[in-house]
Amino acid sequence: MELRWFHVVLWGGLIAGMFLLPQVVSNGTLRTLIFANYLAVFAISWDVLSGRTGYVSFGHPFLIGIGAYTTAILTKRFDVPVEVSIPLAVLFTMVAGLLVLLPALRIRGSYFALVTLAFMELLYQLVQVIRPDLTGGTRGMSGIQTLTRGAANGYYLSTALMLCIALSMWLLMKTRLGTALAAVGMNEESVRGSGLSTTRLKAFAFLTSAFIAGLGGAFYVHYLGSLAPRAMFDINFLFTIIVSALLGGTSTIVGPMIGAFFMTCLLEYLRPVLPGAERYFVYGAIALILYMYQPKGLVKLVQLTSKA
Amino acid sequence: MLQILIQGLLLSGLYALIAMGFMLIFSIGRVLNLAYGAYLMVGGYTYFWVSQSLGMPKLAGVVVAAAVGVLMGVLKYSLIVRTLRRDHVAVEIATLMLAVVAQAGIVLVFGDSSKVLLPIVPGVLNVAGASVTCNILVAMIISWAILLGLYVCVRQTHTGRAMQAVSMDAKGAAISGIDPDRINLITWGISGALGAIGGVFFASYTQLSPSMWVAPLIISIAVVIVGGIGSIIGTLVVAHIVGFLEVIVVAELAPELRGVFTMLLIICVLASRPQGLFGREELH
Amino acid sequence: MIKTALLSGTCFALMASVAGAGIKVGFIGSMSSDTGLSTLRGAEIAIEELNADGGVMGEQITLVSADTGQDPTEGVRAYEYLAETEEVDFIISGSIDDVSLGWLPRMQEYRIPTLDTWTSYIGIIDMVVEDPESMTPYFMNIASDEALATLYINFGADVLKKKMGWDSVVILAEDTAFGEAITGLVTEALAPVAGIEVKEIITYDVATVDFAPIFGRAQDTEADFIYQVSSVNSQVVSSQYVKLQVPMAMTGVNVSALGMEYWEDTGGAGGGISTLSPVPSIGFKLDPVSQEFVDAYQAKYDSRPLLPHFNGFNAYHGLKQAMAAAEEAGGFDNVEAWAEAMQRQDLVLDLDGQLWLRYAFWGDDEVEPVTMRTYPHNARFDLSEPFDDAQPSMVVVQWYEDGTAAVVYPDKYATGEFTLPSWVSK
Repeated sequence: MELRWFHVVLWGGLIAGMFLLPQVVSNGTLRTLIFANYLAVFAISWDVLSGRTGYVSFGHPFLIGIGAYTTAILTKRFDVPVEVSIPLAVLFTMVAGLLVLLPALRIRGSYFALVTLAFMELLYQLVQVIRPDLTGGTRGMSGIQTLTRGAANGYYLSTALMLCIALSMWLLMKTRLGTALAAVGMNEESVRGSGLSTTRLKAFAFLTSAFIAGLGGAFYVHYLGSLAPRAMFDINFLFTIIVSALLGGTSTIVGPMIGAFFMTCLLEYLRPVLPGAERYFVYGAIALILYMYQPKGLVKLVQLTSKA
Repeated sequence: MLQILIQGLLLSGLYALIAMGFMLIFSIGRVLNLAYGAYLMVGGYTYFWVSQSLGMPKLAGVVVAAAVGVLMGVLKYSLIVRTLRRDHVAVEIATLMLAVVAQAGIVLVFGDSSKVLLPIVPGVLNVAGASVTCNILVAMIISWAILLGLYVCVRQTHTGRAMQAVSMDAKGAAISGIDPDRINLITWGISGALGAIGGVFFASYTQLSPSMWVAPLIISIAVVIVGGIGSIIGTLVVAHIVGFLEVIVVAELAPELRGVFTMLLIICVLASRPQGLFGREELH
Repeated sequence: MIKTALLSGTCFALMASVAGAGIKVGFIGSMSSDTGLSTLRGAEIAIEELNADGGVMGEQITLVSADTGQDPTEGVRAYEYLAETEEVDFIISGSIDDVSLGWLPRMQEYRIPTLDTWTSYIGIIDMVVEDPESMTPYFMNIASDEALATLYINFGADVLKKKMGWDSVVILAEDTAFGEAITGLVTEALAPVAGIEVKEIITYDVATVDFAPIFGRAQDTEADFIYQVSSVNSQVVSSQYVKLQVPMAMTGVNVSALGMEYWEDTGGAGGGISTLSPVPSIGFKLDPVSQEFVDAYQAKYDSRPLLPHFNGFNAYHGLKQAMAAAEEAGGFDNVEAWAEAMQRQDLVLDLDGQLWLRYAFWGDDEVEPVTMRTYPHNARFDLSEPFDDAQPSMVVVQWYEDGTAAVVYPDKYATGEFTLPSWVSK
């Protein structure tokens, strides 16, 4: 692992900057940034699995949803304290994800994407039909315990969560394990040829991804205070996660973060200009054009411009 | 029993029609066109606009819808697929983005309340105690005709054989003098037209709404994945498996679990036999 | 680069809040749906009229809107935007059930007076009962779905049983929470109260493409009529019913048939359908005050919905009541005082010398005599003839095959007859 002085400075600057932000910006902006933080967590989770290893997951809302539903049901229906329910939710996400999706990891490419998509749709339909007294059925749940009150507190909590995850993932990716994961994405055969177990590597990437997704999903639902299946297992939600990661630049930790902030702020700052349905159209179109222009993401774009 | 048979045949015909265009692109370009559902949606809305809002003849509506479909397919190939050629994942993501943009566009133009299309062919028949609308009967007949036509085309015509060649090995085809780019363009155009026509029938059976692109996309995915890439016969057979499965679940078991069984079918087939039930890799 | 964007965003927000002196009303709802637009336009017209009369407490009212796109998460963000960036004093909502449930925790946090005009979900009123303190700012001025279903039972007894002579029903319900709630109420009461036997309950998936097997199953039960409960993709059910010419009568709840655009949207393939509707509905005779509102509405807007849905009326009258309550309570800042004043608002609209519509709320401990429960912060409704305390919680609306619609129940409000589609022989 190579840690250079400027790494420490950059991370320190980012952390200090983000924590000082509430002193200078309004509460409305902080509320937007909270969503950006959670989206960044989900995008990092997606990137750990899909960006690194090339196994594109279309079912991340499936993992996030399991985490969110587990803790929501435990706290709301069984009065379990959040200190217990969140770890349980994370654990459950990892176990459920492993049981269900690991067999799918032997299928490559588009097929893997489709299986994960099918799982998301399956869970969406099951959540509404099975035990609606627990899940709240189609309407979902409201009045779920929230961890914080006020914009600043919510911002500090989500920022701490996001930065913790980002930093630990960044450190993890600096290790040889991280390099091996990226190698799986480039050429799985040759990784296997060099005597490493690709199955173990993939399982590791998958578990890490599920861990972050479960953790993010649990905190997210305790921030929102409500949970609706239509919004959770939604193609548009999936779209935002994937596009954040890709637009920022995959296989970098900073990329998904930048992508998430860009996407959230873009949608929010279009609101005063285009209050109606035009907003989603412009938002989608900008994302599409940017992606077509530079599929490697904003990070790559910055690198190219700074070189030129 | 006879009722289920009839209803199953009709629904399966519709599903085969929907899935055909998706299968073509998948087999030629190995690309999951996630915006395929958007063809159906745009086709349906175009038909609605031409024939119901402007009051033009129904046939004109279908023709305009098909033309818009061709245009969408060709544009998508030239602007998106060709630009991102080497990266399948990028194409898939870009098509997903396009579908979301198309959905927002439809909300913008038509609003988000759902609309119902008048039957393209009105009338009801009563066959063995089952009510059958002429509309879906025609959809089934057209579906079979298109499938057979496509099958013959792929096997007999020059362009069809070129498509076969490109789906087997694009490089090899290029060496033997076929322009894969032109074949791709033609295929995307055909796929767009098939999608738009399928969309008109699908919408005349259900409704038009800005989120309608998801359901037919999932049906197409189910049919093509379970059938195996590139198999016209496989698509036909599996459309019937999916259609009958649905009708039987709805009529005999639990109608609320309709979608669940289709999802389980996809997952099981993919996990156990990723190449699909009839899978060879090339168009056949 | 991000920080500059953030800072400029902040400046923008600051400018917006400085410019917005006076009273600021926020609209939350979908700005591309007929229902959302009904609420928005109802509020716009009410604000125009109030401003023309000199505003409220000497201040002019401005309206800002936040689109939810009918997405629950977007709803939370829209609410946050109204509360923290726009800093509105009062929020009027045209949200659907799960969107309202989504932003409710935010309302509890910010404690901004909020009026819901579309969702009728009884679960929200239950939240007011269980936790009155945190739900103080919340009001819903449409009769709750439970009240709608309860009155519908009387329709079953008076019309379906007595007049049509039907004894048995098959229920066709979508697998949503709405479907489940209505189905539960109808099945529990239909047999004992109306004497109609429930033969079977068929629950279907809302994404169902083909309803032929489901109608086949319904016919096999040999029940006298179908009772449908449909709020999502309702047009699929009704249009396939018409296209297949199912030889059984069908009535019930069909949310898509609540607006005048139903005929245009279905291309006419919707005749013969009847549905219960909140009040006032299409085909509903209007009192002079509400008629004036409709005239103003139609003079101002020429795009759909051409006639405001029921929630447009609720928004128009409700917004004026909220402002009147603010005047009594000295503004919106003291939420408890405002809520108390809001609860006392009482607008009685007469037609031909009798009570026609009433915009008022139930008292906190007031027990409704038919359902024997309380409905705090919910619109006042009446469940028994002669509807002299308030308007009925619902009316039954019939679409005829010639494209006209009329209210067919209760008798006091009826403008037409309950009829069967021409292909049903009974």
